[in-house]
Amino acid sequence: MGIENLFLGFEVAITPFNVWVAVLGIVLGTIIGVLPGLGGANGVAILLPVTFTMPPTSGIILLTSIYWGALFGGAITSILFNIPGEPWSVATTFDGYPMARRGEGGQALTAAFTSSFVGAFFSIVLITLFAPLLAEVALRFGPPEFFAIQFLTFSSFVGLGGGNPIKTIVAILLGFILGAVGLDIVTGQLRMTFGFNGLMTGFDFIIAVIGLFGIGEILLTVEEGLRFEGTKTRMHPRVVLDTWKILPAYWRTFLRSSFIGFWMGFKPGGATPASFMSYAFAKRFSKHQEKFGKGEIEGVVAPETAAHAAGVAAILPMITLGIPISHRGGHARWADYLGIAAGPAFIH
Amino acid sequence: MRAAEIITASVLGLLGGLVIADSLRLGIGWGTDGPKSGFFPFWLALIMVVCCAIICFQESRRATGTFVEREKFKPVLKVLWPAVLAVGLMEWLGLYVAAALYLGFYMRWVGRHSWSLVIVLSLGVPLATFLIFEQWFLVPMPKGPLEAWLGY
Repeated sequence: MGIENLFLGFEVAITPFNVWVAVLGIVLGTIIGVLPGLGGANGVAILLPVTFTMPPTSGIILLTSIYWGALFGGAITSILFNIPGEPWSVATTFDGYPMARRGEGGQALTAAFTSSFVGAFFSIVLITLFAPLLAEVALRFGPPEFFAIQFLTFSSFVGLGGGNPIKTIVAILLGFILGAVGLDIVTGQLRMTFGFNGLMTGFDFIIAVIGLFGIGEILLTVEEGLRFEGTKTRMHPRVVLDTWKILPAYWRTFLRSSFIGFWMGFKPGGATPASFMSYAFAKRFSKHQEKFGKGEIEGVVAPETAAHAAGVAAILPMITLGIPISHRGGHARWADYLGIAAGPAFIH
Repeated sequence: MRAAEIITASVLGLLGGLVIADSLRLGIGWGTDGPKSGFFPFWLALIMVVCCAIICFQESRRATGTFVEREKFKPVLKVLWPAVLAVGLMEWLGLYVAAALYLGFYMRWVGRHSWSLVIVLSLGVPLATFLIFEQWFLVPMPKGPLEAWLGY
């Protein structure tokens, strides 16, 4: 692959039609991401048929734009309402929501989208340069490595959780048990459905999140005697510029989180462990750990950078080998489409 | 505080017991082609029950405090029980009718908004969600007799 091919690619991508398609995709994606219960995967699945009427390149541009718009939409609800739209925005709520409650929602959002850009850009550059090499590493990844990553992530939950570690363990186990409800994919037997048909497919992530974060948050607000208003955020260009002045000071966090995200993303591991791990690392290396969880901007930067670096890196095995690495049904359909369109022959 | 912790831990412990019971039904051993369906849930639930027991023990040795004051608990219940009722109604009436009833009741009773606003919002919001989910995004939601009568 020569560098001239790369420029040829840019020439194809930066036509007015394709840029318009990208803007449209990001706007649609953000709306889909903000709506509760609809994630990027649903958006992509719904709009898939539309792309068949387009040239393949524009189709890919539209779908990736929707996907990224939806990812950022998840960050918006995490910061403003403390309700993460996607598993990898959960870590963003830890500091994003306290910032918004202090009236710094604008700063938190700016930090979130800037970090997303940095993380995604970092991964894009690495993928472009090292795609075939990294794809081979990704293929060697088997169950033991996968287990190791998950184990590390769940251990970091216990380390992160403030109070009693045993309670954190109970919470993790409860999550695993809820995850085990429904059809056992190995033996095909029904587990813990107790005769309810609705439980056959298990518990959806969104339902658990709305129940735990959303309803819990509302009840807590009522108890504190406040009225639930979400948080007011005014987005002045001023706020964005001021936040950009602070952010370069966190270059270490950006770099570390991008690496963590990329490393976790390009093989089956995923964005969610990456965001949590990056948050844990940022907290450990920080000089003022006590501020984390109370509205520290670094606590938004770290998970967002890592999640988006991982998200972009996850595309790599998909386009180089045609293997969709994903954990959600609709996402896989998108992956198939990309896999078919781009395919292994595309890279080699 | 102590009572709340112990109750929560006990409820979770009982849930763990339920999971263990179902796992035993499915088989917790090793089948011909790997672990049987009950293997993982059984061990997860067993560890959870043990952890809950530890929490109960820890809490029972600690000084008691207040979990929630009576005055603050009233508004919380006021929010909670209509929501629980609405979820119950959803089972027979469907999501949209239950949502309309819930919104109307809640806005009038807790929010004390004017009747016109109550009617506009409690009809408008379910209608909008109906259009978004059923028509545009084709996500099926629980539906009841009214939707059946309308032909959905």
